[in-house]
Amino acid sequence: MVDLPIFLFFSEKNPPRIALEICDDIAFWPGLLKDNLPDITADVSEWAKKGEMEWGADLIRVYLTSTKKKHFSDFPGIKKVIDEILSGTTLPLIIEGSDSPEIDSDVFLNCGEAGSGERLLLGTAEADRYRSVAAAAIAYNHAVIAQSPIDINLAKQLNILLRETGMPDNSIIIDSYTGALGYGFEYSYSTIERIRYAALKGDDDLAMPIISSAPDTLGVREVRESPPETKYETAIQWEFGTALSSLVAGASIVCVRLPETIKLLKTAIIDLSSPSVEDI
Amino acid sequence: MALKALDIYKLLPKKNCKECGDPTCLTFAMKLASGKADPDKCPYLDPQAKEVLGSSTKPPVKPMRIGVGERSFRIGEESCLYRHEKTFYHAPGFFLALKDSSGESQISTIANRVEKDLLVRAGQDLRLNGVAIISDSKNPETFGSVVKKVEELVSLPEILISNDPKIVEAGLTYCGSYHPVIHAATRENYPEMCRLALKFGCRLIISEGDITKIPELVNECVKIGVPDLILDPCVDNLSDCLKKFTVIRKKAVTREDASLGYPLYLDTGRFKDRSGSLYLGILKYASLIVIHDLPEPVEKAALTLRQGIYTDPQRPIQMEPGLYKIGEPGKDSPVFMTVNFSLTFFTLQGYLESSGVSCYMLIVDTEGLSVLTAVAAGKLTDTLVNETLKKADLANIVSHHTLIIPGYAAPISGKLEDETGWKILVGPRDAAEVGTFLESLQSGETK
Repeated sequence: MVDLPIFLFFSEKNPPRIALEICDDIAFWPGLLKDNLPDITADVSEWAKKGEMEWGADLIRVYLTSTKKKHFSDFPGIKKVIDEILSGTTLPLIIEGSDSPEIDSDVFLNCGEAGSGERLLLGTAEADRYRSVAAAAIAYNHAVIAQSPIDINLAKQLNILLRETGMPDNSIIIDSYTGALGYGFEYSYSTIERIRYAALKGDDDLAMPIISSAPDTLGVREVRESPPETKYETAIQWEFGTALSSLVAGASIVCVRLPETIKLLKTAIIDLSSPSVEDI
Repeated sequence: MALKALDIYKLLPKKNCKECGDPTCLTFAMKLASGKADPDKCPYLDPQAKEVLGSSTKPPVKPMRIGVGERSFRIGEESCLYRHEKTFYHAPGFFLALKDSSGESQISTIANRVEKDLLVRAGQDLRLNGVAIISDSKNPETFGSVVKKVEELVSLPEILISNDPKIVEAGLTYCGSYHPVIHAATRENYPEMCRLALKFGCRLIISEGDITKIPELVNECVKIGVPDLILDPCVDNLSDCLKKFTVIRKKAVTREDASLGYPLYLDTGRFKDRSGSLYLGILKYASLIVIHDLPEPVEKAALTLRQGIYTDPQRPIQMEPGLYKIGEPGKDSPVFMTVNFSLTFFTLQGYLESSGVSCYMLIVDTEGLSVLTAVAAGKLTDTLVNETLKKADLANIVSHHTLIIPGYAAPISGKLEDETGWKILVGPRDAAEVGTFLESLQSGETK
């Protein structure tokens, strides 16, 4: 059996990081947030700023949901959004570009250019559409998120494909996809464990940090159907349970949407990273 | 090192007497090899062979039953550190804490909550498991009377918590015949606690914060004759919990130290964080978890996490095949066909529900395989779909005779149309797109 240095996952030197997920058009975002944080969600730059100054996020992950609009073509607008966020926060940025192949190229190039010099993390490369995002990342020296559907071999394959485009290994973050708690999370949990295990055993193709986000969490039935008085708290626990478990499995960045979850995660990470009372 | 089945077979009497409960010595040997049987079951095994087998074939974490009757449950028997290596067998028991200084109404609230709380997910009943009664008053009579009160109210597994044998004994007077768990034997009190555990047939928790000293204490208790031990390494922060539990479980499953091969006990009341320690305990090897404060959202999340982590990775949870309703569908509502893999089911159900369109889901039995795998393995066939369609009497439930199938099932669409005579629409591959698909369907874009 390989002797995993499991305890090194949590050290004060390199603790797991928490990303706050925000978006530039809340029409495509879970209603729960609009109901509970109406002031913030209207202004993306203000939202990012709060994430940094008040909620304690380590990174900001912006979903350019405005590109989901039918026949989207306002590419210069993307630059404006990214500039606004960059002026609102000093935190590292993750930019999630479009999710339709027809506009990928234009969206990613604009993202890449707008964040030139910022060393952004661009998302998301997938097995059947990774060229545009990789091209933008290479051109402007950004990193990319490589997403594969809950399978260690597919994760490995995508990393190899990205490497072939010229992406350096230190610019790839693995996203093996995280299902929400109760909706396949256990598959994701084990996949993260397997990827991390393989890397520690010496598999270079999987030796990249892992990012985990369970985007469906706020919309699961348990949250939707909770009575109003416990709905928000249920959402927090669903996010917290999923994110904490992902980082225990070996994720380096966990992404959440609720400020309260960030707080819980921060406390947990400090507690997980505290030096042991005794050396085991 | 673990022995192979054939090596074990050589050590057995080869009489095929069936007294162990297995039909042949070889099948018994195979069970021994996988840690699924106890060598003691063979009455003819010579002592030397027994010794060889005992240390290498018993499950590395000792199996035991907690409580009696309907709500009793098993713990231990685990054999790996990561669930993908095989599976985790027995989910941890959740025990709500109850101080003996609580008032009558609080006692009944807690006891009844453990008895009644129920979350049904994917066809399984998820429940809290027992009550942990804590001696807060330090008074044997008070403790005894609270145990008595709980016994009158419910019949649930119990943990009796006190380091004073006199107090524990006062409780055992009322519940001793139901095999409760005792917390805890320490370096100071273990002879007395062992005596109680033997007298009443209890599981005994050993409480010792220095894990290098646990083996010694375990061996002392085993020497006295207490077979069923549980270990409490007294952790009070997440870092310590992760480290100590992992080290203990690792030494157990690699058989590096047999005296650590016992289930683990976690008291979340010692932690700053009420829910984080609970979630970590579920992920990392706890078998009995005491919970002091359990808001409903945390309870739901913990029960759900426990169900997932303790699902056998090779045998995914399956849904009952048949017809399911989303909203209030009528004669004109669309019908979505998909497989009975629970993850597929829940994902599609979630997206259909949030689309706000009433419709039917027709679930076919692919033995828990996902759409992609089922198509590749030939488990999702036109005949299977047609049978399910007929069995659900769908032709009389909807008037349109149109079936929407998952994008990944497109390869069978032609055959399916021939077999069923229904019009087959190929839906999106990703359930997340189903809302958009429904929109285009309604606006007539999809023909």
